[in-house]
Parts: sequence; structure tokens; C-alpha cells
Amino acid sequence: MNASNFINPFSIREDEGSFAGDFYTRNFERQARKDSIILNLGPQHPSTHGVLRVLVELDGEYVLRAEPVLGYLHRMHDKMGEVKTPYQYLPNMGRVDYLHPIAWNWAFVGAVERLASIEPPKRAEYLRIISCELNRISSHLLWWGAFVLDLGGVTPILYAFEEREMINDILQIITGSRLTMSYFRFGGVCADCDSRFIKLTKDFIPYLRERLKIYKALVTDNIILRRRLEGVGPMDTDICLRYGATGPVLRASGLSSDTRRNIPYSLYDNFEFAIPAGPSNDCFGRYLIRLFEIETSLQIIEQAIESLPDGPILIDKAPKANYKLPAGESYFAVEGARGQIGVHLVSDGGKNPYRVKLRSPGFSNLSLFAEAAKGTLLADAIAILGSLDLVIPEVDR
Amino acid sequence: MIRAVWDNIKGLYSLIVGLSITARFLFSPQKTVHYPRKVVDPESLSSFRGPLELTPAADNSAQSRCISCQACVRACPGHCLTVVKGQGKAPIVWTYNFTLCCLCAACVESCPTGALRFSHKVYMVASSRQEMVLDLLSDLEKNAAVAND
Repeated sequence: MNASNFINPFSIREDEGSFAGDFYTRNFERQARKDSIILNLGPQHPSTHGVLRVLVELDGEYVLRAEPVLGYLHRMHDKMGEVKTPYQYLPNMGRVDYLHPIAWNWAFVGAVERLASIEPPKRAEYLRIISCELNRISSHLLWWGAFVLDLGGVTPILYAFEEREMINDILQIITGSRLTMSYFRFGGVCADCDSRFIKLTKDFIPYLRERLKIYKALVTDNIILRRRLEGVGPMDTDICLRYGATGPVLRASGLSSDTRRNIPYSLYDNFEFAIPAGPSNDCFGRYLIRLFEIETSLQIIEQAIESLPDGPILIDKAPKANYKLPAGESYFAVEGARGQIGVHLVSDGGKNPYRVKLRSPGFSNLSLFAEAAKGTLLADAIAILGSLDLVIPEVDR
Repeated sequence: MIRAVWDNIKGLYSLIVGLSITARFLFSPQKTVHYPRKVVDPESLSSFRGPLELTPAADNSAQSRCISCQACVRACPGHCLTVVKGQGKAPIVWTYNFTLCCLCAACVESCPTGALRFSHKVYMVASSRQEMVLDLLSDLEKNAAVAND
């Protein structure tokens, strides 16, 4: 090596900025203003909910530019789909998004069922809806607590966890686990519910409605929270659609769009529930819409548990570990807590799928952050980041 | 001007409402279970998926139902099971590496004789990786000995 080209990494001084930092920082620095500060938020910052790293260029306390850096939690889920049989790949789905694992279960199982033309029994469909909606509530509850925690309110997360633990207890009866659930099977679900499950769920619905009133008095009406959120980070429908944002983020922007209504799957057509479009497109609007969705999910669970039919929970000769998918491709989308979850499955008729593409809503929602954070205060940028409800394992997959 | 004053009064009132809720919960009974002084209700663990265990045979509780067919070993996505067949159908080695297990029930569902099931051990701890590699045959014998005493 030519001695003049060699850069000793230990001799880099601060003013030799072009050599310091990693690829992303150097690239980001190139367009930086002379008088600005470049700050790394994360990857291990509590307010980034996991290992998200955000590069921000600051002028005083104002964000000039922001750029999320992804991939710290990339676990090659797409690739793992190609080296395992569909049945063996199924438990992975609980790990993609640990807050709403049942929706991911559903997206993958739905894609396989669509490709193999399997029709699950009616009781299984009801159990799927009940468990998925309970899981959605638990995801929103954790978001609610963590979001207020981001804004500096430490107490509310303890209230949210009380209900979340109750949901975990209920879901543990049928799924056997409390976090990374793998409940669905191709052609049904793995366990039937018992009378204890039904009783606990029925008791839980009025209980949570009472608790939501406490949430409103404790946090939603709180003047400090409202001043922190109202008017912060507006995102209009146009920009949401351009970035492919879905779920509560898109609905808060004023478009009443929900996969459960747009592309109806399972038996969601049989249930009465409203798809709210937000009162405002700022952080507070996104906050309200998620709290409203808890109520929507409660309505669905109430209707489903009243009309739970009898019958089998799994089809006869359900696909097992050695099951070979027929050749072809399929796409199945479900509405997760964060937006549209999609699984695109391509099979060449072999033992393992040819390709599994996972579409995670968090990834698209995160892309909005760079746009929305421009020109805001750093503390408001954290509020925007929190209001997007990011789950980093899902963003990185 | 009057409106601004009124908004501030309303804002202050909202803080008092929030604080009163917090105060109410401060004096309400504790909801958390303080392990190890208390443990959770065993009924709520009846469907909990803990580490795997072998189901005892109907006639002899120290014997496994396993017929060493390797169906579980092939079904396992994490390759955490090792089953070695002895003379006859009964296995002589049954090792289960809990560090690799994702508790997905693929083995339990693929077993033709129902020889596997999930235990409900929530309080299992280990201080090394080697302790997480479980010998299920000896565990079964230990359980049978405890049950017979």
C-alpha cells in the first residue's frame, strides 16, 4: 500500500470530518450547512423504540433535515422463508412484529390458504377475528403508554400495562404464549377456546370501556399533552399516499381507508364497525384515532363472541411440516395495528417457497418522518416519531 | 383575553383531574405479583407453553411413548431436537436444546404417538448455555421418581 494513501483511523481529528463516522454520516454530512450540528438519535435511544437510528441536522433546536438509518435489527425474514417449508416458517411471523403477531400470522397463513385454496372452518375464522382484535388492542395500549412516555409522562404506561397484561392472560389461554404468538395454522387455528376464555373476554370488554374513560381524563384532556401534540407534524392525505403510509396514519390524515373494509378478508363483512377518519392530521389526530380504534376492536370482539359458532377449528388433513405448496403466487393483505400487512408468496411447487415478500406498514410509515420532521423542534420530532407507532423489528424484518 | 384566561383555568383543572386519578390509584391495592413472595395462579398457566417434556407412557410413568420415528426432528424449524434410536423402538438419547427452541409446537403437532407436550415451567432459570440443553429421558425418570415417592 502506498504510504501516502494510508489513513490511520486513530489519528483522525475532529476537523477531518470527511473521514470520521460511518457511510451514512459521511453521506449525510455532505449536504450539511456550515453552522449546523449533526446529531445521531439512536440506535440505542429510548425514544426510538428499539434500534432505529435517526440522523438529524440541527440549527439550534430546530431540525433542518432528518434521515432514518435502518437495518440494525434485520433478521433476514424474507430469506428464511425461502429456506424453510411454509409450516416451519410460520413461527417466524410472530417475531416480525412482536406487538401485533397475530395479524402477521394471518397475513402469511392467508397467503398460503389462498394459494392452496384452503377454506378454514367458520369457528376458526371467528377465533381468528377475536384473537386478532384483542391483539390489536394490546398493541394500541402499549403504543399509548410508550407514546406518552416519549413525551415525558411516565405514569400512563403503568395503567396501559395493567390492561395489556389482562389481554396477555386471555390470549395465553388459546395461544400458549404472551408475546410472540404462533396461533394460526393453515386451515384453522391450533387451539380451541374454553369457557374461561369466553368469560374473561366478556368481562374484559366493559372493563376496558371504563378504563378508556380514565385514559381520557388522565391523558387525553391533559393540557400539557394537548399543547405538545396539537398542530405538530401535520401530514396530509397526498403525502401519506405518496409514501404508501397506511393504517391510523393514513386515516388520521382524513382518508377512511382500512383493509378490513377495502379488501374484505375472512368474515369482517359480517360485523358492524366504523372506520373513522381523523379529526385532524397532526400528532393529536393520530393519537385520537388509535384510541378510537380500541373502541372499534371492542365492538368487533363483542359481536364475534356473541355469535361464536360451534364446529371444528382445523380442517381435516391440515398441511403439516412436509406440505408442498402448489406452484403459483398469491398475495394476502390484512389490517395490522400499524397499517396494511401484506405477504406475497411465490411458489415453484418445491418443498420451500420460491420467494416470500413481507410488506410491513411500519417501513412506509417511517418514510414519512423525514418529510414531517423538517423545520420542527427536536422535541416535536420525537413526538412525530412516536405518533407513527414504529416497531423496529417490523421495519427491518 | 377572557378566552385566554378561561382556557388556562380549564387547563389547570385538567391537571387537577389527572392528579386526582393518580392519587386514587396510589391508595388502591397492588395489582402486581411480587415473585418470589407470591406466584401466579397455577390455573392461569394451564395452557402456557414452557419447555418441552416427554409424555409418560400409560403403563409406566418412567417410560416415554416415543417410537424414535424422527418426525419431530424433521419438523423442527430450529433443529433443536436430537433423538437416537436404541435397540427396539425406544429412544436411548433424547436431547432438547432449549436455546434454539421457538416453542412453535411443530414437533408436538407432528408426533404420531403424542409423546411430546409443553411443560408449564415458568420459573426455569439457567446460568449457562449447557444447562439449557435438556435430557428429556432423565427428566422423565426424575419426574416419575418424584411422583412415586
